[in-house]
Parts: sequence; C-alpha cells; structure tokens
Amino acid sequence: MGDVAIVGIDCAFPGAAGVQAYWDLLMRGGDGIAPVPAQRWAARDFPAVGGSGGFIDDADVFDSDFFSVTPREAAAMDPHHRLLLPCAWRALEDSGRAPGDLAGTETGVFVGVMGGEWGRLTMSDPARTTALLGSGSSTGMAANRISYHFNFTGPSLAVDTACSSSLVAVHLAAGSLLAEECDTALAGGVNVVLSPSLGMVYGQLGLAAADGRCKPFSADADGIGRSDGVGLVVLRRLADALADGQRIYAVLRGSAVNQDGRSNGVIAPNRWSQQRVLNSAYRRAGVAPDRVAFVEAHGTGTVLGDAIECAALGAVHAVPRDTPCAIGSVKGNLGHTEGAAGIAGLIKTALALHHRIVPASLFADRENPQLRLGERGLRLLKAPMRLPRGETLAGVSSFGMGGTNAHAVLGSAPRTPRGAGTDGARSRPARDAVGVFTVSADTPEALRRNLAAQADAVAGRPRGAAAALCRSSNLVKTGLPHRFAAAVRDTGELVDALRRAAAPTDTAAEQGRPWGRPVVAFLFTGQGSEYPGMTAGLHRESPLYRRHLAEADEALAPHLGESVRDLVLGGDERVHRPRFAQPALFAVGYALARTLTSLGVGPAAVLGHSLGEYAAAVTAGALGLEEAARLVARRGALTAELPAGGGMIATGAGPGELAGLLAAEPGTAVAALNGPSDTVVSGPLDALERITRQLTGRGVRVARLPVTHAFHSPLMAPAAAGLRTGTVRCAPPAVPLASTRHGRVLRHDLMDAGYWAGQIEEPVLMDGALAALVAEVAPTHLIEIGPRGVLLQIAARGGRAPGVEYLHPAPGPASTGLELAEAVAALYRAGLDPRWEELYAPGHRGVEPLAPYVFSSARRSWDRESFVQPARPATATVPDAPRPGRGAGDGRDGDDPVLHAVVQAVAEVGGHPPERVVREARFYEDLGFDSVMIMQLKNQVEARLPRVGEVSVQQMLPALRSVGALADFLSDVLMARSS
Amino acid sequence: MTRAPAAGDRGAVYLASTGTALPGDPVDNTALGRLLGVSEEWIDLFVGTRTRHFGWDPVTGEVRGSLADLCAEAGARAMDAAGLGSADVEFVVLATATPDTLLPTTASEVADRLGLDHLPVYQIQAGCSGAVQALDLGRTLVLGGRRAGLVLGGDVTHRFLSPRRDTARMPTEELVNHVLFGDGAGAAVLTDEPEGERIALRSVLNSWAGRGRPPGQLLDWYGTTDRDSPRRMLAEDYKAIEEHVPAISVEILWELLGGLGWSLDDLAFLLPPQLSERMTARIVERLPAGPAREISCVSETGNTGNALPFLQVDRLLPEFAPGDRALALCVESSRWIRAGFALEKV
Repeated sequence: MGDVAIVGIDCAFPGAAGVQAYWDLLMRGGDGIAPVPAQRWAARDFPAVGGSGGFIDDADVFDSDFFSVTPREAAAMDPHHRLLLPCAWRALEDSGRAPGDLAGTETGVFVGVMGGEWGRLTMSDPARTTALLGSGSSTGMAANRISYHFNFTGPSLAVDTACSSSLVAVHLAAGSLLAEECDTALAGGVNVVLSPSLGMVYGQLGLAAADGRCKPFSADADGIGRSDGVGLVVLRRLADALADGQRIYAVLRGSAVNQDGRSNGVIAPNRWSQQRVLNSAYRRAGVAPDRVAFVEAHGTGTVLGDAIECAALGAVHAVPRDTPCAIGSVKGNLGHTEGAAGIAGLIKTALALHHRIVPASLFADRENPQLRLGERGLRLLKAPMRLPRGETLAGVSSFGMGGTNAHAVLGSAPRTPRGAGTDGARSRPARDAVGVFTVSADTPEALRRNLAAQADAVAGRPRGAAAALCRSSNLVKTGLPHRFAAAVRDTGELVDALRRAAAPTDTAAEQGRPWGRPVVAFLFTGQGSEYPGMTAGLHRESPLYRRHLAEADEALAPHLGESVRDLVLGGDERVHRPRFAQPALFAVGYALARTLTSLGVGPAAVLGHSLGEYAAAVTAGALGLEEAARLVARRGALTAELPAGGGMIATGAGPGELAGLLAAEPGTAVAALNGPSDTVVSGPLDALERITRQLTGRGVRVARLPVTHAFHSPLMAPAAAGLRTGTVRCAPPAVPLASTRHGRVLRHDLMDAGYWAGQIEEPVLMDGALAALVAEVAPTHLIEIGPRGVLLQIAARGGRAPGVEYLHPAPGPASTGLELAEAVAALYRAGLDPRWEELYAPGHRGVEPLAPYVFSSARRSWDRESFVQPARPATATVPDAPRPGRGAGDGRDGDDPVLHAVVQAVAEVGGHPPERVVREARFYEDLGFDSVMIMQLKNQVEARLPRVGEVSVQQMLPALRSVGALADFLSDVLMARSS
Repeated sequence: MTRAPAAGDRGAVYLASTGTALPGDPVDNTALGRLLGVSEEWIDLFVGTRTRHFGWDPVTGEVRGSLADLCAEAGARAMDAAGLGSADVEFVVLATATPDTLLPTTASEVADRLGLDHLPVYQIQAGCSGAVQALDLGRTLVLGGRRAGLVLGGDVTHRFLSPRRDTARMPTEELVNHVLFGDGAGAAVLTDEPEGERIALRSVLNSWAGRGRPPGQLLDWYGTTDRDSPRRMLAEDYKAIEEHVPAISVEILWELLGGLGWSLDDLAFLLPPQLSERMTARIVERLPAGPAREISCVSETGNTGNALPFLQVDRLLPEFAPGDRALALCVESSRWIRAGFALEKV
C-alpha cells in the first residue's frame, strides 16, 4: 500500500473548539463531559440516560451566509451537515491552500456519519414534510453538501458502519487517492447527540455508563457515555504532499477494514476479527507489530469490549519486543463520539506523532488488572510518553457495533532538514525580508473578525521574520470578496497592521471589496530622475528586481563596456552624464516593469516620457530588450557628443503664454507639454536665464531641470541625424502605447529609426498622450516606472486622470524597499490576484501555520422543541421569518413599491432578514437561491404584484442577477403593461 | 533521511544555526550623552562603544520588552534557520544574569513561547561566561543522546540602569555602566549531526578560577527586607579587570589551542572577550599575533552579557568557510571564570 500524508486537520470535540484546543485538552488530561444542555433535551424527562455527556459548544451555530445557504434551508439542514461545512473549510485552510483554489478539482469527500436521527426526528410527521427538510435530512447529503458547496467533482460519499464510520471513511479515502481517483481527499466524520434515544438503547443493553463517561481499560469502566464531535483530515499521496511542500502531520502507512461475519450476536465484538484487522493493516503497511510504539484503541470502556480488545491487541503485540506497546483511548477525554470516534482517535494519533508526545489516557491510573496488559506486551499510558527520535509507528482502532472493524497504521512525517544558505545569500541582511500579509472574508464584519483572530495568533508567536508567514497567508487567506493586504517585515509590524485594520474605526474593511479588477497603466520616467544609488533599496529587497536589472545590465554591457548596474548601485556620480544616465534609467525602467509583470501586474497601457519610451516600448512588445539596449546606448553616446551649453526649465505656464517669449529667443523651443500649465522649455542657458527672469517677474513658477543638454530642441539635430541612420528591428506594440512623440495611442505605427530620431528633437506631448491613454483604457491605477516620482506629479497637476490611484514601487532616495510590496498589496485590495510566489525569495516560501477562519456565530439554527416535543407549527424552525413592517421595504426603498415587493418575496422564500435583502444582493452568490427557489420567488412576486400579471421564468432569467435588477425589470414590465 | 557514515565525527556536536534579537533601534552616543548629561567624547574615551539597544525607553524608563521576549525571538530565529519544529527541540539551556523573575525561570517562559513541551529546560545564572556554560551543558546533553537542542543567552538592563537617576551627581564608576551595557539575546541550535551551518563545536573550556580572589564585578538584587538599602546594585573593579582580563585571555587561548593540538596559524577567526570596545582592543593587543581575523560586536551592541558570544558567532557565520577554524574567548570577571570554545566548519 502506498503512503498517504495527513496535511490538514480541523475538528471540534466536547471542550475543544479546534485543533489547538483539542491538543491542549489532551495534554492537560482534561475532559469535555458536562450536563446535557437544555437545548438537547430536558435531562429530568429522561432519567434512564443519565444527565451528562459530551456536547460541543455552539453546535447550533452556522454561518449560512458564508456558504450562501438561505436561512430557511439552514434551519432545515441536519446539524451534522452544518458542522461539516465550516470544518471542511478550516481543514483545507490548514493544508496550506485557499479552499476556493480547489473548486472544480476532483477532490474526494468521505464522511462517516451514523444513523439518520435528524431525518427521523423531522420527517416523522408527513404533514410537516417539506422539500428542504427532505434534502436536509438525508445522510448521504453529509458528504455531497461539501462537494456541492466547494465544487468538488471527485468521489463523494457518506459512510455508515456505525461507530467505525469515520475510520472506514479514512480507509476509503486513502484507497481512492492511491487508485488516483482523486488527488486530494477530505475524510472524517461527524456526530451530534440530537436526542436521548440511542442513549436509552445503550442503557437497555447494559452498555451505558452511569456517570456518562467512558473509562477505557479502567477498573471503574462501566460503559459508554455518548458525545458530539466533528473532525476532518485532508489527505494527499505522500509524494504529492512532499512535492508541494505541504506540512505533513503524519503519514498513513496502511489501513484495513473487515467484518465479524456471523459472530456471536450482531452487536457483539469479536476478538478474532479484531486480531485479523490489526494483522491485515500491519501487513498492508509493511510493518511488524513489534515496531508499533502505541495504539490508540477503540476503548469504549465497556467491560466486555475492553476485555475483547485487549485480548486481540495482546495476541498481535505480545511478540518479543524492547518495550511494551503503549495503549490509550481518547474516549476517556471525550466520551464516545460514535460516527466521529475513529477520526477523533486518528487526529489524536497524528497530532501525537507531529508533537512527538503521546498524551496520557484518562482513567488509566486505576487500570483494570483483569486485562493483564503487562502479559500481553501492552502498557496503558498513565503519563504522557515522549517519542524517540526517528520514525515512530502507531496504530488506530475503531470498531462498529455491527461488526465492521477498522485499523490504521500511522508513521511520523519524514524530516526535511534545512541546509544553510539555501537561497544562495550568505550575507545576513540587517532587516527581515518584506512580505504582504493577506486576509479575506465574506463581509466587512467578517474581515474585522478574522483580522483580529490573525492578530491574536501572530501576537502569540515570538517576534521575528514575517515573510514566510505572509507567503502562507497568500496561499491560504485569499479568495473571499473582502480583502486586506499589508506589506510588513516582521511580526511586530504585522500585529500592529492587523490590529489597526481590525479596529471598528478603520474604514478600510468597508472599502475592502473590489467589484472588478484594476486597470493598470505604466508611466516610464525620463531623464533627470536619475541619481547615484537609485533603486538600491529595492535591489536589496527584491530577488525579482535583482534578476531583471541583471538582464538589462547584460543587454547594455556590450555597448557600454561596463556594468551600468554596478555603476548605479555603487553610487557613481557618472550616472548624471548622458552616456550613463540614459542606459541607467532604461535599465531601471525595464527592470521595474518586468518586476511588476512577473508579479502578475500586467499593464493595460504604457506611456514613456521622452527617454522612458524605450523601456515602455520593450514592455509593450514594440522593441526587444537587446535592440532597445543598443538604441539607448547609442542615444546616450550621441547625446554625450553634443556640445554642452544647453539646458531646460520647467514652467507653470501654458504654451500660449510662452509663445512670445520663445519667439524673442532664437534657439529656444517648447520641449515638453506636460499639462495645460506645465510646459518645459529647452534652449541655450543664457536665453533660458532671460526667460526665467521674465516669467518669475510675472509670478510664474520656474524650475531649472537637472539635465546636461537642451533635449527636444533643434540643438538635438546632430543626435537625431545619428539616430536616423541604420534600421531598427521593431513591431507594432502588443499593449496600447500612448506615444509622447505623437500625443496619441500607437496602433499599427512602428517605432522605427525615424520615430526615435524625431522623438529626441520634437517636444514631449505628455499631456496629450496621458489624455489619450486615459480615454483609451480608463485606468484605475497609474504606476510610475522610474527611480523618483515625476510623472505622477505631472498627472496629478494636469488632472487628466481624476479618481485614479497612484502607485510607485521605487519612490526616490528615501524609499525603503517596502514600496514594491505596498504597491502589490494595494493592487490586491483593488481586485488583482498577483503571482504571490514571485514576491518571495525561495528561502522565504516555507509553510507557516495560520489561525483558521473564524466564522460568524450570529446565526443559530436549532429548535429541539420542534421534534423532542412535537406539535409546534413548522414555521417555528425558521429563526428569521420576516416580520411585516420591517426591513428594506420600509426603509430607504420605501418609495419603490416594486422593490419593496421583491424584497418581501425574497425574504419569504429564503427566510432572510429583510435588511439583508439589499438592491445589490445577488440571487445565487449572496442569497443562496437555486432553481426551485426561483420558481417559488416567481409565484411570490406575482402574488404581491398582481398588476405585473404573468411573467415566465424565461423572461425573468436575465434580470435574476440581483434584487435590484429584478425590481427594475418588473418595473419596466409594469410600465409597459399599464401604458 | 539517510546519513553518509563519514558525515559526522563520532562524539562531535554541531552548531546548526544562530539567532539574535536586539530590541528597537540602536541608541547612539549623541542620544545617550544627551540623556545622561555627558559628552560624546567622554563615552568614546571611556568605553569606545558607538551604539547599543535598550528594551526600555531611555527617556521615560518604560519597559517595552522582557528578557523572555528577546530570548524567544532569538530562539525562534535559530530554530527557523535550522529548519527545526518545536517537536524537534529536545532541550533548552538559557544563561542570564538578569532573569525576568526568579520563578518561573525565564528559560521556562521562553520554552512556552516557542511551543516546546515535555523536555528538560535549564537556566544558568551567570555573567557573560554563561553563554559558554550553556554551550558546554548543551554539548553534554547531545553527547548523552539528545538529537537537537536550543542554547540561549541574554541580558537586559532596565533593573540596573534608570533614566530617572540623577546622573550629574553619579560617580564615574557608576555612570560608566550606563554607557557600557545594552540589551540583547542570542541563541544557537546544537545537533548531533552536521546540519544547517555544519559547524563542529570542537571543544569548550569552562573553568572557575576565582579561589581567594575578590570579585571583579558585582550585580546585586534587593528584596522585601532590604529594598531601601543604599548599597550599589552594580559595581565593577576596573583596575582589576584591566590588569587581569588580558592576561587570562592569553592563557585561555593557549589552553584551548593546546587541548586541540591546533596552532595559532590554524585559526581563521578569533572571537575575543567583549567587555567594551576599548577593553576588547586592549585584550586583542596582548594576544599573540596570528593570521586570525577578529570578530567583535561590542562597539555596535554594547556589552550584552550572555548574548555576546552568540552575537559574535552570528557575525562569524557569513565569513566562515568549510575547513575554517575559530576560537572564542570569554572571561567573566565577577569571580574570574575562564571560558571559551573552538569551532570548525565541516
């Protein structure tokens, strides 16, 4: 049998609301046995079953909105199903993946569940039967609902072998994985003690513990105490789990299932069958019994059951061995969780192997001497047992009342030691690497709730690097509509950022739902923005930027005869000379753009200011990197050969205002039209000096630009002539390129030699190009691709792109290297799904456990009155039945009678509180409607709006996007019919 | 994982990784001089230390982080660098002169924060030689059969230095403590096979040699009966330290080399005692000349007590090439403890 890895766990057991709480309960030897909650039944009415048992808190809580289940359906759903859905979500998260990423895959679901008590209780009165109750109560639906809500198309089955159901489910899941029916499987079980009925059965059979507690292998053992529980594990083939770098709790080495056959009574346990199932599992796992360090026994704590189990365990394990095989049973802590009993034992065993310590078995201190454990090579765990180094093997047993036995063999996860300097970096950075931590949720309130939960979890860790934690959050905590993202370096910063965003005063949570994807335009900065050491922080921080700057450097080196990267990062002042300034800026622009596109930030359009057009052209696919490098180096060389003496000034004047001044100064020219009152003038220095005095006298802002020549003026003619010679290998841009030479978007135009020659001597039509870009693609984000913020200021001054968000991954000498991550975080919040892995060096891509999703506990769906004491009207099971005179219809939509009627109809059909039925609510995603409910909705609408008359579902379909769309459609019908 | 039989020497113990933690931003002499009302030049002349870190606000005295915070951070970084999960750590040894509380020990608090459970946890009460004592004990535990463990050292100053004190009237020998010390913690993972950094801990010297000698350093503490006592909390016999520590360092060097059969020429790196920049320079001057490069940290971290050897090893790692050997020397002047260790990258 092949190996299967346990890569994710979630569970809830009495006294333990999650995996960590479960482990804590086991390690402190706690138990979850408590008096019967009033919600289940009145203990005094059923004295025969005793007054206590194991009940999970909040078994009635279900975040139906999260799973798009209507309140009405949630109320009709079997509580077993309600518990499974959030458990599945959290288990998949724990496996290091966003559950949504598995949608559409052939993931298998194998759920052990015993009996069908909910159906018996709710469907026993034919007069009260409803369609929702029908689908809500079927046992098979326990697995199918998970497959439906998560969109898993692999095998999906509920398993009922009585108390061994969930371990048999794990066995079937492993087989399905190894047969390659599926690549990921959810397996486990669920049990909810809905009524005292089965307890009465146990009592009549003499199997019920007087105190409601299982006391496995104890001299005081007197029977079973019943308990709730839900637990799921995520299973993968070991090789796949290792290849994907998933955290592995333990490895399922082999398992076996058999049957008692015709033994001495259908419900009596059978020693020989138990022995055979153990041997069979060890054989399949390829292990000898003497290597098994401990067995998590079935251990119900009935006198007969314990005796038979120990006899079987002894027969297998009483072989010559160094130390006895340790045994214990979690039923001492939890009671008998029946359909979830096997998974409770399996999870305990997996956690024990993971933590390398086996918890003590409760009630072991009064070991039953009649079990003769010592003679049988067995030892009851009276204290926790620390496991030795290396692989430990453990067994898990689970036996069903009807004689179906299961045993699983688990081994510790393979250790993968880390080598030093795996990322090749030998130097120790003074600061921790940057990451972006992400959290997502289904509502603003849920986002706050989960931000707070993450903050608490991270605050409980020692302060330290956050990159691996961030990387894990990108894998797990993305995919829901409301998004949070923050760029941080260490866990201290992370906790602060999470707490700030979780505060009710922070409005970011409300704004955290993008409705589309961002439309990004890249603006490439031109000459004058360069400085020694530019982008050094980013170079230190980003492996991606390092890689792409090296590409540009390599392309430029043959033309420059030296490394422009080393020149830039070395702080060389020569970066101000045109010969180096132009290649240096090109390299920075190219590398910044490639860094962003590698991260999944693809531009909808590009624009380059003057020299910036070269890197823009490469990004748009108009020039290849080598060709552009050759051209830029040549342009730099030609510029350097020009006689000195020219310069440039930026003015706060429009071209009209300047015309007279320029006419009076031969050799001067408008070099750039950056905005309506934002004009750059080129020319001889003395002429510029005179113009500056004139303008300053008129109160116009003038600034001398830090350039060496009068670019974009007739003084550039010799350089232009040089650029005009030779051919340029170019193609029409694949991405819209707003040309600052022409002031419009290039379509089929080629950026050939003539283009580049004209480009250097003609004015830069920035304002026109930006306006054309905005008109063409309507960007939501402008990103400056340059070492200093220049174009974003021009754009802001010109007002061409109102409402657009500005981002800059390398904003000048004061930048810290954090800004790239901040830009990616902003784009994620705006709806982009970046290629997160590219943000991190390989050494920071480790898996870190994250706190599981915290679901809403606002909605509870449980009403024992309806079945324990029948004869209440069925509507009582609906907690949020709409009350007349409340909700949206009487609020802000009170003046729209059609909308009011639609809201009322929706609330009636779905059982939603009317205030949740807002205009924007979508029928399928937000309200959980299905085709049957649409039919009911049509009837409701027609009844409430008689004047609309007959409308077919076919006619309504296009309008069934949202509540508002349907109301608008019906209003139109009403208008048409009344006119 | 299969192990090549030749990968590790029998009976050797390895250092797989280090982790360090220094609280907040460095406090430079300008800032510190302003707070204490002394000149930068005086600090430079007396101790030569340029920056140090404090886990408390030097203006208000507010304590922002405990020793356990620092040690947990350093420990987690070391475990992470070695790729160790909490289940892989089989012991903890923590050395400090300044525990957060007498009970529970800071070592147990740190074990809890690191998610460790059911394992031996030791705390060593010592000055800067405690870090070497921790390595010594850790080495013994690994040789005794433990696979991997965490050793830590750290100290904090908030109980002994206070911004509210009237520094103007403070005698020089007390004032100097304010510029000498800093807060910090360091940690290392020890393993029984070469892993991570693959550095063999070739020998550890840990020898108390204070018989009949008066203390060179004193760190006192008050309780309910004597909390109003006027006696000094912190005192150093600078004359004795200046006189004896360089000579003792030379002896430690020869003792370690002799025990290993190494010569001065075998050493690529030397990690000298880190009392202060000035004092360390004085010690290094006295040591016999050789090719070894000095690895020091005190001028940037201040004297962080039990963290110092870990901070030095942490700085050594990027430089340490396979085949390189290094020696660390440590003198605890409280009652004259000679300590040191030898490292070799395999």
